[in-house]
Amino acid sequence: MQKHTFTIGLFALIALIVALSQLNILDQYYTSVIMFMGVNVMLASSLNLVNGYMGEFSCGHGGFMCVGAYVSSLCTVLMFSKNQILGAPLLPPQLAFIGFPIALMVGAGAAAVAGLVVAIPSFKTRGDYLAIITLAANYIIISAINNMEIVGGPRGFMGMSATDRAMSGVIDLPWMLIFVLLGSVFTVWLLRRFVTSTLGKGVPAICQDEIAAEIMSVDTNRMKLIAFMLSSGLAGLAGGLYAHVLGYVNPQSFDIMRSTEVMVMVYLGGMGSLSGAAIAAVSYTVLMEALRFLDVWKWVVIPLLLILLMQFRPEGIMGNKELSDLFPKLRKYYSFK
Amino acid sequence: MNTLLEVKNLKVRYGNIEALHGISFDVKEGEIVTLIGANGAGKSTTLMSICRLPPPEAPRVTEGDILYKGQSLLNMPPHKVVSDLDMALVPEGRRIFGNLTVEENLKLATYARTDGHEHIAQDYERVYQLFPRLAERRKQRSESLSGGEQQMLALGRAIMTKCSFLMLDEPSMGLAPLLMYDMFRTLKELNQGGLTILLIEQNANLALRFAHRGYVLDTGEIVAHGTSEELLADPEVKKAYLGG
Repeated sequence: MQKHTFTIGLFALIALIVALSQLNILDQYYTSVIMFMGVNVMLASSLNLVNGYMGEFSCGHGGFMCVGAYVSSLCTVLMFSKNQILGAPLLPPQLAFIGFPIALMVGAGAAAVAGLVVAIPSFKTRGDYLAIITLAANYIIISAINNMEIVGGPRGFMGMSATDRAMSGVIDLPWMLIFVLLGSVFTVWLLRRFVTSTLGKGVPAICQDEIAAEIMSVDTNRMKLIAFMLSSGLAGLAGGLYAHVLGYVNPQSFDIMRSTEVMVMVYLGGMGSLSGAAIAAVSYTVLMEALRFLDVWKWVVIPLLLILLMQFRPEGIMGNKELSDLFPKLRKYYSFK
Repeated sequence: MNTLLEVKNLKVRYGNIEALHGISFDVKEGEIVTLIGANGAGKSTTLMSICRLPPPEAPRVTEGDILYKGQSLLNMPPHKVVSDLDMALVPEGRRIFGNLTVEENLKLATYARTDGHEHIAQDYERVYQLFPRLAERRKQRSESLSGGEQQMLALGRAIMTKCSFLMLDEPSMGLAPLLMYDMFRTLKELNQGGLTILLIEQNANLALRFAHRGYVLDTGEIVAHGTSEELLADPEVKKAYLGG
């Protein structure tokens, strides 16, 4: 029973947030902050797999998020919304409950395939050189979309809110909030399962010593392929949710600034710590909102905080420990390792 | 006895420098064979070539062949050599994963095993029985282990990959004499249990007392070979490697 306390508590919390939002106790603003928190948790924890556990330096996470956002948006607009180029909706709104998760999965899959752009060069390239490749990947994706007229090019792409409306039309609930919360729980759960499995132990092994990993029978190329594709696929899932939360996307919102933001969250939380990534994503989102009154000046304050962090606590909030390492009593309720 | 490993006229180079000038030797099933020689003789190069480690770590084979149970290894990636052929290497300097715990290091070694949980569980037990110290420290990060314990872990890890042929690169390096004898006693036990061993050692005296047969490597060539007794009695070998 105690083992399930954590899971039950988590879902109770989700239900509570949804209920509060439904009853308008949490207004639209707070609801959207919570949704951005969820998206950021997904982005930070998925990047942590590559930057934290595998010890590579990927700085193009925004690009994969972009692929997921655009592909899933295209799917839902095609299915549930009227669009000048794509025509009338193909499916009735009742099917949105099935269509939307499928669109998200397609987006995630496309982002995982885009991850190959980085995964294949990683077989032979490491460290700084691979970082440059990830940077290039981000630029390639953004520029490609900037030049695609079918998704609006630099003007952006919209019509995704029709999906939300279609679902609320059938059952009146804050569906996007529900999907984002479930998506972030799914992401962290999946990554946790992965890094604690025998297969997943190959990732920190590659971080430490690739040659030694090979002579321990780890197929390092396959391992890198899995890690990069899983990471970019989950970023794509986050991107899909982000696009449907906003109802509008443009390529600029996935450029290097976004990638940097996600990296800041990973280093703030601590490399190789999933609970760290989640805590950092939540506190970073709160911080961004709290500093809103500073306007553009917050871009002076936040990097300054980063410098201070690197000076005084370079390992981030959690180091490479998990919550259950710091508070062993928590192990009664959930076990990380 | 069947020949397990056969190295035929192996020539390898690092860039433009030829490190091995065509060496041939073989290891038979159940044997302990040692390669001895001075620094730079090409001992580690030989082992790395057998394990097919990727460049730039490994030398490039230009001529000759490496056969394991009659099958050429030259076109196999290292992880296949370990997983499909049941070979294992304890590398020079141990190269354990310091960021993982003792248990996780052992768990990683079972990465490619497909012979079921029962066999894996038996091997865990075997490793913890051979090295009770590892059992005590199973939850500890392995970078916090002492040098001797790290060597135990490196050997335990090799056992966990399920090996029938074990290669060791300088296992005595950095070990106190007492620990060194312990290590060799354990290896002898494993050999009596059916494990074939190819050992590389600078400490020629110790290696020859432990092995059945030996080869003497000097600047990329095999200059002498024979049973351990023969080599220990050979005046040339005595003079060059055994201190008179």
